[in-house]
Amino acid sequence: MSLNDALSIAMSGLRANQAAMSLVSSNVANAETPGYIRKSTDQVAVNSGNGSSVRTVGVNRQLDQYIQAQLRTETSGAGYATLRSSFLQQMQSLYGDPGSVGSLEYSFNALTTAVQALSTSADSQSARIGVLNAAQTLAQQLNSMTQGIQNLRGAAENGIKDSVTTANTLMKQIATINNQLTANPQGGTSTDSNTAALLDQRDQYVTQLSQLMDIRVTTNGANQVTIFTGSGVQLVGNEAATLAFNAQGTVSAGTTWSADPSKSNLGSVVIEFPNGGSIDLTATGAIKSGTIAAYTELRDKTLVEAQNQLDQFAGSISSALSDKTTAGSVFPVPTVPPTALPPGTPTGFTLDVSQMKPGNVIHFTYTDTATNTQREISFMRVDDPSVLPLPNTATTNPNDTVIGLDFSSGFGSVLNQLNAALGGQATFSGTAGALTVVNNPAFANINAASVTVTQGPNDLSNGSPELALFTDNGAAYSGGISKNGSQMTGLAGRLTINNGIVADPSKLVVYSGSTAAGDTTRSALLLNQLNNASFTYSPATGTGSATAPFKGTLLSYMRQFVGQQGAAADSAKQLADGQNVVLNTLDKKMADASGVNMDDEMAHLLSLQNAYSANARVMSTVNELYKTLMQAF
Amino acid sequence: MTISGVSGRTSYIGSGITSLRDQLDTLTQQLSSGKVSNTYAGQGSGRSLAIALRAQISNVAAYADTAVNLNTRIGVANLSLQRLVAIGSEVKGAAVSAGSNFDNTGQTPGQKTASLDFYDSVDMLNAKSGDRYLFSGRATDTAPVAPADQIMNGNGAAIAGLKQVISERNQADLGASGMGHMLLSQPTTTSVQIGEDFAADPTATPPVAATPFGLKLNAISTTITGATVTQPTATPPATTPPSPLAMSVDLGATNPKDGDQIKFTFNLPDGTTEDIVLTASSATPTPAGSFAIDPGQPNATPPVAPSSAVTAANLNTALTSAVKSLANGPLVAASSIQAGNEFFDQPPMRVQGSPASAATSLVAGTAANTVIWYQGEQNTAANGSARGSAISQIDTSITVQYGARADEQALRSQLQTVAVFAAVAVDPAQLGNATYAKNANAQIAALNQRVAQNLAAVPGQQTIQDIQADFAGAQASIKSTTDRQVQTKAMAQTMLDSIEGINNDEVATKILALQTALQASYQTTSNLYQMSLVKFL
Repeated sequence: MSLNDALSIAMSGLRANQAAMSLVSSNVANAETPGYIRKSTDQVAVNSGNGSSVRTVGVNRQLDQYIQAQLRTETSGAGYATLRSSFLQQMQSLYGDPGSVGSLEYSFNALTTAVQALSTSADSQSARIGVLNAAQTLAQQLNSMTQGIQNLRGAAENGIKDSVTTANTLMKQIATINNQLTANPQGGTSTDSNTAALLDQRDQYVTQLSQLMDIRVTTNGANQVTIFTGSGVQLVGNEAATLAFNAQGTVSAGTTWSADPSKSNLGSVVIEFPNGGSIDLTATGAIKSGTIAAYTELRDKTLVEAQNQLDQFAGSISSALSDKTTAGSVFPVPTVPPTALPPGTPTGFTLDVSQMKPGNVIHFTYTDTATNTQREISFMRVDDPSVLPLPNTATTNPNDTVIGLDFSSGFGSVLNQLNAALGGQATFSGTAGALTVVNNPAFANINAASVTVTQGPNDLSNGSPELALFTDNGAAYSGGISKNGSQMTGLAGRLTINNGIVADPSKLVVYSGSTAAGDTTRSALLLNQLNNASFTYSPATGTGSATAPFKGTLLSYMRQFVGQQGAAADSAKQLADGQNVVLNTLDKKMADASGVNMDDEMAHLLSLQNAYSANARVMSTVNELYKTLMQAF
Repeated sequence: MTISGVSGRTSYIGSGITSLRDQLDTLTQQLSSGKVSNTYAGQGSGRSLAIALRAQISNVAAYADTAVNLNTRIGVANLSLQRLVAIGSEVKGAAVSAGSNFDNTGQTPGQKTASLDFYDSVDMLNAKSGDRYLFSGRATDTAPVAPADQIMNGNGAAIAGLKQVISERNQADLGASGMGHMLLSQPTTTSVQIGEDFAADPTATPPVAATPFGLKLNAISTTITGATVTQPTATPPATTPPSPLAMSVDLGATNPKDGDQIKFTFNLPDGTTEDIVLTASSATPTPAGSFAIDPGQPNATPPVAPSSAVTAANLNTALTSAVKSLANGPLVAASSIQAGNEFFDQPPMRVQGSPASAATSLVAGTAANTVIWYQGEQNTAANGSARGSAISQIDTSITVQYGARADEQALRSQLQTVAVFAAVAVDPAQLGNATYAKNANAQIAALNQRVAQNLAAVPGQQTIQDIQADFAGAQASIKSTTDRQVQTKAMAQTMLDSIEGINNDEVATKILALQTALQASYQTTSNLYQMSLVKFL
């Protein structure tokens, strides 16, 4: 019955055409749907009698897996680069329009200009108030920049939280889809159309996930994917792991992330496996790309460094005006006329260390006679013995050995600590008001001894031209180290103008009981410290290194870090732009390979239409043949 | 940026257009602001240098403000100094040329000039630039010199001014006897001795210092043959003080000849010396400044031989009268000058005790009893140089000094001299009295002479011109620094413009190019979407 065969073959052709037509229509309809992959029918010829009928076994997705994998990698990279660039651009707005009102340099220049005016007209009330206003503006500028940076850190913390939530949703959905997928019962690489739609959906989820973090994807024969982090931790299989993030409400300069959860004030991304067990992804650095990596880097590194720079600047400008270094007086006191001391007499210096505040330093230089090498020792006051011993990086001087002196147990204990530290080389004795250090002539020569003392907020007219124009929220800033860390941390956010000077601006000039109104001693000191004096800056701020720390005036330091931030933002933007070009190109390639081409579809439609007509024609011919056959009988 | 939400093709074309739009926005912003970017990031590799340049420009602006301020201050101070120099020569001229015609206030026209000039001087020294007193040293908020009227006349009854201090000193110098603390006697018949009436006693407890008042013996000399002079020595001779100084001349047995002279030299309180020269004369009547040589009584019976004892008595009389004239004439002038000196000291020195004529020592006056003429920062070694009392930085490492104090040597000495000249007056009511008038004339002549001398420049001592020269040096330094800064600023600005500025032509051209590109993109995109098989089926 070959006519029947022909009829059924034509029928199968019509069915196949209809199926193909429905795919064309779905391709056309979804031409602009994100993540939609062009579908084509998978049809095979089936031997039936003398001919072959056609059967649609499934739907092929026109997917280029190589491009897809590349696209995912670059999506992670672009997510990272774009977010980082966007944050750094936002941070640029904190640094202000270069040279305009609201930029740090403008405030600083305004302060030096005001101090110059004060130095010219020390007696002028308006010049004095001018300095106060300018100092106030600078302090507020640093405060608001700190707030801006910490807000960005807070945003990063929230960003991680949101990203983790999104990632969890995506991973769950991927797992769900994974479980709905089965191999095509009819065999082959194609799938039924429902599954194809699910795969499109799932691939879209995977791409979204790749934006959040770097992932590796493997697919098995049943089209199921297993997703790993870049470092190989499995995220999704048949079940999705859960990412947890313990976000912290407030983020300030003092809140820092630590690998040790008990010390960390900020959240970590932790993966919790369905079967129990967890891995801290932040601590292990497992997430290297994507927005989560960018948020983490911003929160814990980039923004922290920017904050450190501001804190260092605030600390330096505060200390520059308030710190007074006094050289020790020669001991024994020289006679007039001078007489030679008997050989072997211990000699040294006498220092007044009674006014030292935490963080203030006794500088001590001696030459070891055995090796003829000169050594620098910095004795730093601490009031909290738990921070001892101090690292040599406690001071910015790269050549000194730092020894912390615990002042909390009275001066007798301080003497013991001093003698224990330098026993044999030198002997310390005396009182806090007159600490005498003499050498042990056989072993050492003392070259110099001096002490740096921070003037407190109330030491405004004690005869020292140095004064605490800036305070740490009303208290003296002396850079002390306590168990909470350095006093410098977050100083830029707490920097305020000394209220004693606000109440009596004449203190900008009057440094002793008998200072005349036009005396420029203090204003000249302020001007010199702001404009010309050179300081050393901690390498923790990203400028200089521990062995060769950055040295320079306040302005040159500001240039350094503002320039550095500008360059970082600029290069981040270039990186992001470049990454986006790559991503766009890949998108285009992906669209070319797997997207819907309307012309193709239309051409396909035409041929389907013709095929359909042809199949129908076959049927009608068969019909006529039957008729002829029937009428013959 | 990528555009999500639509499929890849649209996104790709869209991104291209968005990127063009972004560039166009940036360029438009550059054109409107004139700056390449409004962030440090967009400023390019020159951003760090730009910060330094802006700081430099800001500093130059601050220095320029300082320079303007300083020039004004120095200018104002210089005007004062010019006027003071003019006053100096005016008063000096008045003192040299003025006669001794007293008007109804007991002063000469020269003194009248000095009086006006004194008020003017005080005004000049209280010169201000803005709120800043320029002759107060560092005490720029304090008027350096007390009001002229207070300096002259005191501040109420309790606080003495210069006139009272002069009057007290005059009385103290003159002494109760009106002889300037001189005592005359004749230890022997042929000798005349003149001595001081007060002896210092360093051995007493507490030690008694020499009185600063009155005439002081300096020397004695004579041309008389046979006469013996005794230079000032403690008399009567004693091994231990106190014995006042005295000097004497013993004529001896023979009479001096006509024209023989004896010269008595005295130190006056202001450090000047005055001589009394007495000439032996046989003329009748005995001329002024002479003493009669005893002619004896050749016609008497028996004739009395000329006696040196009688001549000595004549000498005693003549000397008494001459000392009295000296004490009431030049001593008063010298005393006034010295009173001025003491009044202008810090603290002012006053005659101690009452009545003043019996005083033997000085005491430091206080603000409660004496007008303190200078209220500014004292010109002492501890306070440093006057010029250094105002220091301004006009460049990174250049400072100028332009301070001044009204109690600097040159300013004080002129003010003091003018003040004393203006303060001294005689009693016009007594000018009818011939002796008084004679003494008054002597006083004013001695005063004129001293004023003229004190106003003349003394080598090795500061003059007002020296201060002007210092100021001129400061101004020259400011000028050269400012000129240099103008150039520095221009260079920095040019450099800065090259970093943060834009080239308008370049930007405009770019905008035009972008506009074209954007239009073309729109057109092409539109065409691309038009060209679909869909349209042709």
